[in-house]
Amino acid sequence: MTDFRKDFVKYAKSLNEASEDKNIRTAISRAVSSYRNTVSETLERFPHTPALAEEVQEIKTRSMATLDTLLEQAMASVERNKGKAFYAKDHQAALEIALGIIGKGKTVVKGKSMLGEELHLREYLEENGNEVWETDLGEFILQLRKERPMHILSPSIHVPREQVAEVFTKFFKKEVPPDIAEEVKVVREFLREKYFTSDVGISGANVVAADTGAMVIIENEGNVRLATGAPPVHIVMVGVEKLVPTFQDAMKVAEVTWRYAQYGVPGYVNIVSGPSKTGDIEKVTTYGAHGPKEFYVIFVDNGRKEMAREEKFTQALHCLRCGGCMYECPVFQVTAGHFGHTYMGGIGTVWTAFVSGGMEKAAPLVYSCLRCGRCVERCPMSINVPAMIGELRERIVYGTYED
Amino acid sequence: METKMPMVLDVISENIIKHGSPLALKGSEVASWAKELNLPVKGDLLFYTGGEYQMLPFIDSLVKTITHLDQGSKVFSMMMGARNILNKTGISPEKMYASVLAKDKDRYNSVCFKAAKVLKELGYEFCYSGSEELYSGALLYELGYLKDMKDYAKRVVEVIKKSGAKTIVCLSPHAAEVFKFVYPKLIEGFDFEICTYIDLVWERRDKLAKISSPESVVIHDSCRLARELNIHQELRDILESVGAEVKEAQMNREWTSCCGGPIKILFPELSHVIGGRRVNELKDSGSSHILTSCPYCLSALEGGRAKGDSAVIEDLIEFLYRGVKA
Repeated sequence: MTDFRKDFVKYAKSLNEASEDKNIRTAISRAVSSYRNTVSETLERFPHTPALAEEVQEIKTRSMATLDTLLEQAMASVERNKGKAFYAKDHQAALEIALGIIGKGKTVVKGKSMLGEELHLREYLEENGNEVWETDLGEFILQLRKERPMHILSPSIHVPREQVAEVFTKFFKKEVPPDIAEEVKVVREFLREKYFTSDVGISGANVVAADTGAMVIIENEGNVRLATGAPPVHIVMVGVEKLVPTFQDAMKVAEVTWRYAQYGVPGYVNIVSGPSKTGDIEKVTTYGAHGPKEFYVIFVDNGRKEMAREEKFTQALHCLRCGGCMYECPVFQVTAGHFGHTYMGGIGTVWTAFVSGGMEKAAPLVYSCLRCGRCVERCPMSINVPAMIGELRERIVYGTYED
Repeated sequence: METKMPMVLDVISENIIKHGSPLALKGSEVASWAKELNLPVKGDLLFYTGGEYQMLPFIDSLVKTITHLDQGSKVFSMMMGARNILNKTGISPEKMYASVLAKDKDRYNSVCFKAAKVLKELGYEFCYSGSEELYSGALLYELGYLKDMKDYAKRVVEVIKKSGAKTIVCLSPHAAEVFKFVYPKLIEGFDFEICTYIDLVWERRDKLAKISSPESVVIHDSCRLARELNIHQELRDILESVGAEVKEAQMNREWTSCCGGPIKILFPELSHVIGGRRVNELKDSGSSHILTSCPYCLSALEGGRAKGDSAVIEDLIEFLYRGVKA
């Protein structure tokens, strides 16, 4: 017997508290209007985007239907490029593989990754005797505040500059004024040293092309570029749902992702397929020229393949993590990441059920979805979240799910 | 594996299954609006209320109970338990919901009456199942009680069939949604034509009398109507026909913002916050006369309106009835 009653009461309290938080309210209102404006502007500038999104839906459908083959192919491609490829069936395996590569007493710089959040990667590596730095500014702020992200793309969306100044002043042991440019500057100086002295850089990937083994990573700050380029070792940890057949497919997915993720045109698109190498001296290939000498990719399953097999849920794996749906969600608009576990909003609730937390964590979230359907209007992949929420409710009511 | 859901979900689902109403209202109570109209029980066109507008004031009362009691507590479970065994103990829902104001009851009860009068005025002939009418079960579907819904739907269909109707006109978009998209999957040969109240009014909108309203109105598109049933232009056409000036909210039609109603019974405070935000979005259009076309939107927007806010929140039915009286 699973009793959800107390969980619901506890969750309702956390939502109520969040909805009274003025920081969340102000930050999200600002973010929502900025999101809507940027996306409508850029869709006007690049009118081919909706058609391209439809094409990407087809690519994703095909990819999820042939996931095993793609995974095999991608792992072979990485190995051919002189990288090392791993498959992690679950959360524990993923962490252990990463730790096996890193070892103890190392310094690690990390790019933003929802998979990292799902695995509690930083905490795990720290517990095992490593020093780990989040390099995305938003995640760095949260690392210092010991908080979890409130949005997948803007993790510290709920923290205003005054509170950033406060936490930086304490951490850097010098007065940091509540001035955004100053705040950015102190982190830049601090992390710059970390990039060049750390042993390992870890990143996620937005798309992976199976044919070439190319990892595509979209960013604006330039932190990923440094974190994956400066240290001698680069580890990519990526969910298997990010696989697509070809490099061309990957470019299409990337463009649709950044357009709906409010990048307009992103500052950087990194494409990494293997370790750094040179053949400039006598045409002898030597690894670790300027970039990392070692390149590892850990493909993480952790419930994704099961989701791909379920007809009613496989579409949830098409999620590009653009975050657009969250801005349109009336519940998210007043509670931010509190409507979520690791993954947020309606789609995040589906992901919670299968990948990160399980049905018991998901159940209260499932019932706080309005099923209003505006997320579907926004979603470039037209993921039918309300239908999935309906299906999850049925499984919860009748207890027809696996623990 | 057995799961224990929040009490309020047990109460609502069991009430639907046992009493044909989410709040166990009596059929005679639900049908009281129709007394003077002498509607036939048989006909081609069935007027379907599902008891939804009629139960709105009771929902608010239930929600107040929930808001003030810890849903996990013993007191709550005893109170909700009492609702459920009302057959054995003879406790009537009226007594349980004694706090419901007579004026609220009258207002929501009369929505059905007004809807029927408007249709009559437009020349429609229709029948009504009266005290036998059963709630559509939309909440069973919505809340995940789909297996129970399968059995329940059979009983609903039996009542509908007695009318001999070919077409069902639904006042609530939620009823229209389940009849249109869910029933055909549950019941073999469920081939009734399903339309909404808006569809029927829209078809004969040229016959509507002009309504003199000095102020402009703003439409709150209901999610179900705008997104599932794709009805939004129709509302504007109808209002144009009666001569009303329509202002538009920034988020409207298929981009409409939800009123917060769907989570009202489990997360009442949050639902009010969302409803309040939507009221403000609507008022930003420049009109403070809000019209909607869904019982839950009506109730949720009313609930979300800030104290002292003079905005008028009405169902389109109530607005159109002004033309009937004139």
